[in-house]
Amino acid sequence: MEEIREKIEKVLLRTQKPARYIGGEPGSIIKDKNKVDVRFAFCFPDVYDVGMSHLGMKILYGLKNTVENWWCERVFMPDKDFEEHMKRENIPLYALESLDPVSEFDFIGFTLQYELSYTNVLEMLKLAGLPVLSSERESLTPIVVGGGPCVCNPEPIADFFDLFILGEGEEVNMQLLRLYEEMKPTSPTKEEFLLAAAGIEGIYVPRFYDVQYNEDGTVRAIRPNRSGVPEKVKKRVVKDLDSAYYPENFAVPFTEIVHDRAVVEVLRGCIRGCRFCQAGFIYRPFREKSVGIVAEQTRELCMNTGYEEVSLSSLSTSDHSQINQLLSTLSDYTDNERINLSLPSLRIDSFSRELIDRIAAVRKSGLTFAPEAGTQRLRNVINKNITEDEIMRTCRLAFDMGYQTVKLYFMLGLPDERDEDIVGIAQLAQKVVELYFDTPKEKRGKNIQVSVSAATFVPKPFTPFQYEPQALPEEISRRQKLLLDSITSKKIRCSYHQQNVSILEAVLARGDRRLCRAVYTAWKKGCTLDSWDEHFRFDLWQEAFSECGIDTRFYANRQRAYDEVMPWSHLDYMISDEFLVRENKKAHLAQTTRNCREGCSGCGVGKNSGGVYCG
Amino acid sequence: MADMLIPKNQTLNIKRYEYRLVYEKRGRARYISHLDLVRAMQRVFKRAGIPLWYTQGFNPHAYLMFPLALPLGTDSSVEILDIALTEPLDNAELKKRINEKMPQGLSIIKVGEPIMKHTMIAAAEYEITAVCSCAPDDALAAFENFISRDRIEIEKRSKKKGVNLVDIKPRITVAAAQVRGNALFLRLILPAGGEFNLNTSAVMNAFCDIMGIEITSICTERTKIMTSSGEIFI
Repeated sequence: MEEIREKIEKVLLRTQKPARYIGGEPGSIIKDKNKVDVRFAFCFPDVYDVGMSHLGMKILYGLKNTVENWWCERVFMPDKDFEEHMKRENIPLYALESLDPVSEFDFIGFTLQYELSYTNVLEMLKLAGLPVLSSERESLTPIVVGGGPCVCNPEPIADFFDLFILGEGEEVNMQLLRLYEEMKPTSPTKEEFLLAAAGIEGIYVPRFYDVQYNEDGTVRAIRPNRSGVPEKVKKRVVKDLDSAYYPENFAVPFTEIVHDRAVVEVLRGCIRGCRFCQAGFIYRPFREKSVGIVAEQTRELCMNTGYEEVSLSSLSTSDHSQINQLLSTLSDYTDNERINLSLPSLRIDSFSRELIDRIAAVRKSGLTFAPEAGTQRLRNVINKNITEDEIMRTCRLAFDMGYQTVKLYFMLGLPDERDEDIVGIAQLAQKVVELYFDTPKEKRGKNIQVSVSAATFVPKPFTPFQYEPQALPEEISRRQKLLLDSITSKKIRCSYHQQNVSILEAVLARGDRRLCRAVYTAWKKGCTLDSWDEHFRFDLWQEAFSECGIDTRFYANRQRAYDEVMPWSHLDYMISDEFLVRENKKAHLAQTTRNCREGCSGCGVGKNSGGVYCG
Repeated sequence: MADMLIPKNQTLNIKRYEYRLVYEKRGRARYISHLDLVRAMQRVFKRAGIPLWYTQGFNPHAYLMFPLALPLGTDSSVEILDIALTEPLDNAELKKRINEKMPQGLSIIKVGEPIMKHTMIAAAEYEITAVCSCAPDDALAAFENFISRDRIEIEKRSKKKGVNLVDIKPRITVAAAQVRGNALFLRLILPAGGEFNLNTSAVMNAFCDIMGIEITSICTERTKIMTSSGEIFI
């Protein structure tokens, strides 16, 4: 450690935001490594500023460290400048708490939050001095583990990992580390350990499964290649959130990070079932924490971190069954302590005067809504059950109170999208602007700015749109232009995502194992930090695809049959194929589906997983 | 606007109790920038449950005053932070409670009452230990050569005038220059706090540029904060 530390300190003053690379943040956990039996390097495959904002890492970091003789540490992808220094000075990838090289750890765990972080995983393994291919890492340790939402289809990166953890990590991580601690004294081979680990529900060991392909390139079957591993690996769910572990403290960074505040999770899962939204399905069922627990955790976390802002985290906070009581309980505390309470993820239809008051807290920030589609018909297609009236009602309230900025999020390229839907986006934004001008001068704010953001639709596994093609690149360009041309007011600002990013996401999200070689090749060509515009090199990705004989249209732009074997069909996220097909058919009829609170629609989760509205 | 939001901090706390803290910043904490330090200290006080006095208005914030920023990468045991509380606390108690919540490398050394005004800060003393790519004797000779020049001009940025050339020669006081082990050791007194501030890095960069010296590693420590008459600022 001392040797690494000296090397680090030598280059830190020539590095941007050096405090990101030296650890020592309050709330970070330091142990005596001589008294530790299991060491886990928790890696976020993106830079510190992004990774330190991630809640899942804080939960699993705190949880593993509750066991006295286990030590979980944090590791992030270095930014380009520091990575150059690391290479020049021979600094191996190290963990922030001990400054020890991660190659000495028992486990290296990556959380996979988005497809564009895949090349960072390879780069981090290389910086650690390890072979990137699982098959080339022959010794037992370090065991390279992956978790997070992308694991619902990990096939494009299956070759690089020893095992994946499906679903929520709280229980299964503990089981995995306990198994390792038990087996370690017997010095098992990697194969022996992985076989034992595959016996834990939620653990997927890719090397124990073979994939066969049809002549047309689609998957024929995915089967275990040995006994003792399940045909289908089922994701893990924490049934009761009230009794689940939640950290009492966070490592509080010195530099400003993306979400620099205390975060309390209030619920998991979503009752809505918007058909494009992967999170809405893979995190089912809907479970919530009771008000008392949330209040308690908020107090604890604010006290221990010293943060002056706390935010409630969930997919849709206003769907909490006790939302009003929750907010009044919390704001009694936060007002008293001069802590700012921020509430992201509120749904438009649940806005009330009181809620807006709460958000306004101290500073009047903007309102953000995600209608996702420009017309009611298309909103029905995607099952985003928001009406224009509701949007207008909320905006009227907001303008009456002096709000001056409204952000509207949409998607382009949705299934069954017509030109009138795109024009509808511009019209909706225009109506919001007009509503502002209709608001009496003495009430409204000085000016109005409506921001329209249009992302490109990416079909994702385990959603009713998993069968759908992504619109072709030329077509997306045409629609983007149509949107721009339809906007006439200077009060509306329009932005859209870089299209190539969405194409790459679409390929990787629904890819199979044959893509591993392309990911490897793109990385070899120098692709890393792909989620950063300034570093994204689509040209290199295209070269990689063509060298590996991969047709991106096969993965991104092909209509898939209902009975096609998906590359993730051996993974069970509790959402049944029948439900997905049913939802897909209803989408094409522009029929909506009620939310879980209104009544069960039989998604397949069933009543044994703790869902509030299940069974 | 019909419904004006009411500022949350309308309870006027006129009475405030002022303290001057002397703190240390070194080791891992050396890499915390000044802006980040301000935020980190606010959180320390929050964690320690210190009853900080808040400014009044729509956007109340804790009253913390750092009269002199410490450059990134510089160690120090003489840094000053002034705070105000809403109720009096015993000096030793205050020090203990804060230090229990401090991050690695930061700690309060002394708590007292502010005696001098911030505007009295005029200079600071630094100790610099630099390992150069050349022999330490040669580095010392080069430094002596450097400091005996008629003029030492550097580019200085200011908000009003943009970039202009400034002669820093008359601003540098060399209290010591010698060889220590394999390194060049310097003790410099530089203007600080007033309208003209001079960082050690500006001096050392000029030294390297003008004399063609390459520094391979450097440790800098601020050792005194002083008034114009050379008294220690208290």
